Formats: sequence, C-alpha cells, structure tokens
Amino acid sequence: MCKNNLKSFFSFLFKISFTLYNSAIRAAVLIQRWYRQYVARTEMRRRYTWHIFQSIEYSGEQAQIKLYNFLGYLMDNFTPSSTERNLISHIFRENDVCWDSEWERYFCYKNIEVPEVYSGPHLTFPLTVEQAVGLLEAFRNKKQLHSRYVLELLLETWKVLRMMPNINRISTCQSKEVTICGDLHGQLEDLLLIFYKNGMPSLDKPYLFNGDFVDRGKDSIEILLILFSFMLVYPCDVFLNRGNHEDHIINLRYGFTKEVLTKYKIHGKRILKLLQKIFSWLPLATIIDQKVLVLHGGISENTDLSILAKVNRHNYVSALRPPKRRNHSPAGMSIDIDLDNELWNTSRILQRRASFTYPEPLGPKDCFHNRSLQDFSNRIKANTHNELENSRKKEDILAAALSRSQQDVLSLSTDSVSSDNVKEDWRQILDLLWSDPMNQDGCIPNEVRGGGCYWGPDVTEDFLNRHNMQLIIRSHECKQEGYEFCHNRKVLTLFSASNYYDVGSNRGAYVKLGPDLVPYVVQYQASSMTRELTARQSVGRTERSALKVLREQLFAHKSDLLCAFKKFDTENKGLVSLNDWASAVESVMHLNLPWRMLCSQLVTCRSTDSMISYYDWFNELAIKGPNTDHIDQSLLETLYRHRSTLETIFRIVDTDNSGFISMEDFRQTWKLLSVYLKMEITDEDICNLAVTIDSNHDGTIDIDEFMEAFRLTDKKSRLERGRSMFMGTASDLKLEEDPNV
Amino acid sequence: MPMKKGKKKKHGSPASKPAPPPEPQPEPPKEPDFDPKSVAIEFSADQIEEFKEAFTLFDRTPTGEMKITYAQCGDVMRALGQNPTNSDVLKVLGKPRPEDMNIKMLDFETFLPMLQHISRAKDQGNFEDFVEGLRVFDKEGNGTIMGAELRHVLATLGERMTEDEVDRLMAGQEDANGCINYTSFVKHILSG
Repeated sequence: MCKNNLKSFFSFLFKISFTLYNSAIRAAVLIQRWYRQYVARTEMRRRYTWHIFQSIEYSGEQAQIKLYNFLGYLMDNFTPSSTERNLISHIFRENDVCWDSEWERYFCYKNIEVPEVYSGPHLTFPLTVEQAVGLLEAFRNKKQLHSRYVLELLLETWKVLRMMPNINRISTCQSKEVTICGDLHGQLEDLLLIFYKNGMPSLDKPYLFNGDFVDRGKDSIEILLILFSFMLVYPCDVFLNRGNHEDHIINLRYGFTKEVLTKYKIHGKRILKLLQKIFSWLPLATIIDQKVLVLHGGISENTDLSILAKVNRHNYVSALRPPKRRNHSPAGMSIDIDLDNELWNTSRILQRRASFTYPEPLGPKDCFHNRSLQDFSNRIKANTHNELENSRKKEDILAAALSRSQQDVLSLSTDSVSSDNVKEDWRQILDLLWSDPMNQDGCIPNEVRGGGCYWGPDVTEDFLNRHNMQLIIRSHECKQEGYEFCHNRKVLTLFSASNYYDVGSNRGAYVKLGPDLVPYVVQYQASSMTRELTARQSVGRTERSALKVLREQLFAHKSDLLCAFKKFDTENKGLVSLNDWASAVESVMHLNLPWRMLCSQLVTCRSTDSMISYYDWFNELAIKGPNTDHIDQSLLETLYRHRSTLETIFRIVDTDNSGFISMEDFRQTWKLLSVYLKMEITDEDICNLAVTIDSNHDGTIDIDEFMEAFRLTDKKSRLERGRSMFMGTASDLKLEEDPNV
Repeated sequence: MPMKKGKKKKHGSPASKPAPPPEPQPEPPKEPDFDPKSVAIEFSADQIEEFKEAFTLFDRTPTGEMKITYAQCGDVMRALGQNPTNSDVLKVLGKPRPEDMNIKMLDFETFLPMLQHISRAKDQGNFEDFVEGLRVFDKEGNGTIMGAELRHVLATLGERMTEDEVDRLMAGQEDANGCINYTSFVKHILSG
C-alpha cells in the first residue's frame, strides 16, 4: 500500500508543471524552516527551564551548607554553657558514650509488639529472597513495614555493612553483567520500573546502587528497606555506594527526616539514629574489574584511592564536618568527647564570650568551608550594648586567634592521631561525594553546591592513568536523558530518578556492564500520570512549573527588588525599562538566568511603551497568606524566603523529634535566626508570631502548624518538599499525614 | 494556481526525466562570500542584551566563555525568532567544511553581524505561502492532502527532514484516513 503511494506520488511529481513543482518546493522549504525554528525555540525553553530548576536546587543546597557551617561556627565560638549553643550542640555530638552493648539496648526492637491488626509484611531473619520480594510487593501496594521489623532489618544491615571495605570490588568475569543505578531520591516508582524492566537482583543479576537513595521523593525509607533487604539476601551481589544525601544533616532539610518521623511516630527517632550509623558505614566507592570506578559525586586532583581505602569511613557521620576528636580510655573504649569541654579545660584557644563576637575567619582563604564563614562574620552583631566594650573584646579575641597558628585551631576538630591526616581524609571523602565534572581543564572549588570541587578532563585523564582504569561512573547530577557522557566518554553521569523536577522533565537511566566493560544504557520514564505527553506538552508543563517556583522566589525577595527598582526609577514613576528590570532582578536574585527572555512569562503588566510597572507586578506575584496583618510584612517576607532554613533550624532545636518546641526554645531559635538572616527582630515580634500559633497557650509550638500558618509550606513546591504537584496525591497512602504534601 | 495535472512539462526535456531541479529558495542577491565587516548593526542595545541571553543559554563552554559551535549557530538564530534555511546559515558562516561544524567556535561579536544579515532576509514566508504550496497536493481540491505525501515531500524535497523529525512534526495531525486539513495544519504549525 505504502509503496504504491510512493510510486504514484513521484509519478505525480513528474507530471506537474515546473511552476507547481517550484511552488511545492517552496512550501516544503518553508515548512522545514519553520520546523527547525520550532525545534530551536523549544530547546531554548527547555534549557532555561532546566536552569531555573537547577539554580534554585543548588542554591538550596548551598544554603543548607551555609547554615550548617554557620551553626558549626557558632559551636566553635560559644561558651559551653550558653543557651544558644545547647540548642544546636546535639547535632554535632555524633556519638554519645558508645559501648556496643549500650547501642544494642538503645536499638533493641524485641520489646516492640506487632499488633494483630497490622496488615503489612512480617519478617523473619535470616531474610530469604521470598521475603525481599514480598517486601517489594507490599510497598507497591502502599503498605508500611512495622517499626519492629524496620529496626531488626536495619540492625542486620548495620552488621553486614561494618564488614565491608571502603571500596568494594566487583568482577564481571563470570559473564555476569552488573546493573548500575544512579540517584533514586525516594522515588519508589522508578525502582519498581527498573526491577520490572531489568529483573530483580539475584546471583546472576548483580546490582550496584550509586547513592542518594533518600530525600525529596516520598518513599525514601521504603527504597532503603528494599535495597537493604536485597543486600542481606545477596551480600555478594548487591552493592551500595554512599551519596551526599546519606547524611543526617542534609536529611533535615530535604525531607527524609520528616518522612521517617511522620511514618514512624514512636520509633522514628531511633530509626533515624540507626540510619546515621548505617549511612556512615556505607562504602564510599566500587571498582569493577579493576577498570571502572563507580562513585557518587566524583574526584578531585587530590583523590587518592589508597588513602580512601584506609580511612575510617564510619567516623564521617556527616560529610560536611570532619570528625570529632577521639580519646581512647584505658578500657579501650572509644569516646567522642564534647569538643568544647576539651577546649575549655585546656584553654588553648580564643577567649569566648557568650555573645556573638567573633575573630577573623580561620583556615585557608579559598576553602569553601571558610568562604561561607566569611559571609557570616559581618552579620554577627555583638549582643552586648557597649560599643567600646565590644571592640575591646574583639581585639582580645583577635589577638588570641592571631597568636595561634591556623594549624592549631583547625586541629581541634581532628583525630588525635594526626590532625593533618584527618583533614586530608575528610577532604577526600567530601570530594568523592560532592564533586561535579566540568568541561574545562583544572580543578576548582564547587561554589555552587558549597562542597567538593569541579574537575576537568585533564584531571580525569591523569586519575585514570595513575590507577590504570578506563572509566568513571558517577551520579549526583540530574540529566535530561538520564545519563550523559563527558570528558571524552571517560566519565558517565547516571541518574535514575525520572521526572525529577516535574512530570516529563527528564528520563531516568541505568547501565549494564558486562565483561567487555562497555556501558550499555537503558532509559525509562515513570508515568504515574496516565497520559502520554508530547514533547511540546512536556516542555510546556515543566516550564509552567519552573516559572511558578521562580515567581515565588521573586515574591520572597520583594523588599530587595523594590530597592533595586527604585535605584533605576529616579523619577519615582513606578516604571522601569525591560533592561533595567532585568539588571535589577539579577542583582538581587543571583540566579544567573536569562531574565529578558523570561520577562514576558513573568510579567504580564506592561505599559504601552513597554515599561514595566513594578508595583503592579508585585501585586501580580503576591502570595496571599492567612490572617497575618499583625505581623510586619518584611518579616513575613524574610520568613518566606528562608522557610527551608527556618524549618531546618526548628527541627534541629526539636531535640526529641516530637514536632513541638517550647516557647523558650522558640525565642532562642529566633535569636539565632535573626543573626543568620540579618533580621531585626524584637521580642514583641517573636511574641506576635508565637501568639498566632500557640492558640492554646500551653507554651509549646507545633512546628508544622507554624509553617502552615504562615503559608511557609507550599504543598505544591517540589523542590522544597520533594513532591511534584503533578504526581499522585497522598490519598493512596495509608498514612495519617503525608509528609510531603 | 490552475491545476496542470496530466499536462506535459513546459521544458523540452524527455518525458522520462524529472523537471530540472529549481532553486530551493528565492534567489538571494548574488554576492561572492559573506563579509561580516560589511554588515552595519542596526539592533538596539536592548535587543543585543536579549540576544546575549540566548547566546549564553546555548553556550556549553565551561565557565561561560560566550562561544558556541558553528553547528549551533542556526539554532541560536532560530531561537531568536529568525527563520534561515540551513544553506543561509552555512553561507554566513563562510561555507565551512562539515567536519568543522562541531569544532569551530563562534563568539558573540562574530555572531551578531551574521544575525543582522539573516534578519534582513525578506522572504520569511507567511500563512498564504504555506497554504498555496500545500494546495499543489490537494488532488481533489477539498482542502485535504494525504499525510503520506506530505511526509514524502518533507523528507525528499528542499532541505530534507529526517523521518524522526517528520514524525514529530506530524504527530496527531492525520485523521483516520491519513488525511490532513492543510489550512488547520498550517495554523497549527504557525502557532508555535
């Protein structure tokens, strides 16, 4: 049928006149030209949409690291007894006195009763493959595993992980292909899809998961439980690498902590504590056939596998901070002592004050750790009132600081064995988990994320040669096709969470590697929405979502934007030109986005001579809140802008993870925040805020209610909450509260 | 245009040969090679800023060197609303060799005069041009054309599209009989 059509078509062509033929060609060329223009414009929209998501995501990560560094900085500089310090010190206290038997008691699950009414899976150990598969099925059917079994499973996992080396070694020489998966980020649907397409892990089907199993998605704990159970069943055929999100500090912000506490109200805290240990025991990297290196983030010019093979990886509970000083008692018991007790006793260092005074930033200037600190040093105001007294105190501290070598000071937070070694080890691990490749030669600090570095093709080349390897497989970055080669095809980025930014935003991929070590990529896209989207629809939807997020960010910076606009609007007409608008916006937002291109999407109120009326624009953007008239507008705006940070700090302060904090702690938190966020906040302001929430005047604040009340949680903001507005809703989960909606 | 179906070709070529291939585009003024220096930039400063944004968006060099490959040049121009043919683009690029397209780079200052020149092209094509051209294939004069024929045209004439590209363009356009209402089709594609 088709052939006949073709024949008759061409014979038709031959028969028509030259003029008509000419005309047909013209039409063809027009259509082709138009089509190519359409493709280019769509590509452009896709790119700036991607930029929007990525800038906002990375600046969130950067904000988290800055927050953590800030808190760490305060830790190092407060007296032990200060109230503020007590609020936050516990997150830095990695191990309480740790007898093994103490831990066993703490994590004991045996007393936990499983009620009759529980309809989820029951586990018995040692685990069998039927049980692992059963667990998978249960989760597919939205069941939740009982906390008793969770703890038991995690304990078994912990035992197994402790026996593993820092760097796993796999071989494919028995004609077994290994399947490698990248970031999953709590997206259970993608894991199910991978198992469906590729088959479940087995003796003939080894798997390697390359980190970032948790955060952002809503099923992080389920993914962990599945991966761990398969690992228990097939300890020689299921491998896990640690990612930068296998880190309790990061989890505080990106949703995993909240997910666990919500799903496991009674035992969540213990589960999280055990997971902290498990994360620190996750291997750092895997080598396949001695030729292919698989790790989560990447490498730096200093990466040395022989060092990495020997580090005490479990000391790095969070990759964001080097481990605490360790003392070994005569009993052979290892105790992590409270850093500042040591300091206070030896009084080696700076004289501390109870107020927020500060010495010069410490450490090498270009260390990212200190770069953030430098940002803070000018924000911290003295709490005492006497200016003269302050400056004198400052001088004392400065003098004290200057009289110590930098080495001395930094060595405080390092191992007693060798301060240099531990710092070095720490940096090796940080680079491994946080770095990103770049196209340019060289190696520079990764300022966008705030951790690790950017490394170039020359570094890859050098590294592979030194270690006699041929390929690096890593994850850590979302890619539209689910994977991307770079550095002359010597580095492969693999990302397995499809629709990460939004439905249709990207595909996921996994890689199969056989004895020939040629990566075979398989792509997929989870489609919980039943409709198939055309490319145009997909781009359009993602674009709308990105623009929505961007509008919120813009609104959250209203005061600063207003200032910036006024500088351009010298005649105070309330109007600015497009160019001025774009410059002003970039100077405030620092997102490096193509504002002129986005303008027509972000601003609908243009006057006839194409000037922008910025007051009208703010009205357009305005996010309506509840009854907050008694709260200062600029305070609200600041709250909105920093809502993630705010919530993170609340959760840190909420030491027993109850979801409530006391009024007193609430006040203290605000003091911390006011320093960090450069806010002027009076006690009256704080009272007003509290009153809005603590309606029953019982002296406690419900964190979630607080965030909700000020519309500080946006149920639909995926980036903050780990949940896309287009994905399925909580109604299909049998939870009392969906953590991420 | 009157239908001349079945009539013999005007030129005296043998019946077995097809008509001599005409120019695929309207005749540009005859010039030897494109000289960027000869182009006066008429864009406003605002427009240039906007072009820079688009340029940067396609810039894949590490720390934003503001350079694109020759192969990207056409795309960037199209992203900015221009409508050159591939041959137009190659011309302003100085007719580079195919192997150079992905290697040679272009900075913004070099790109701008090229864009200016392209933007001056008169024949941008409008709704009527599209429709008239497609009407040639409307054998029954009822406002529809065979989807299959349109695919063949796009894949074999002018600056040929790949099968993939044609599929994407035509997605959802053909009715149950494989016919396309070409007026709606043109409206659809012009709506971008």
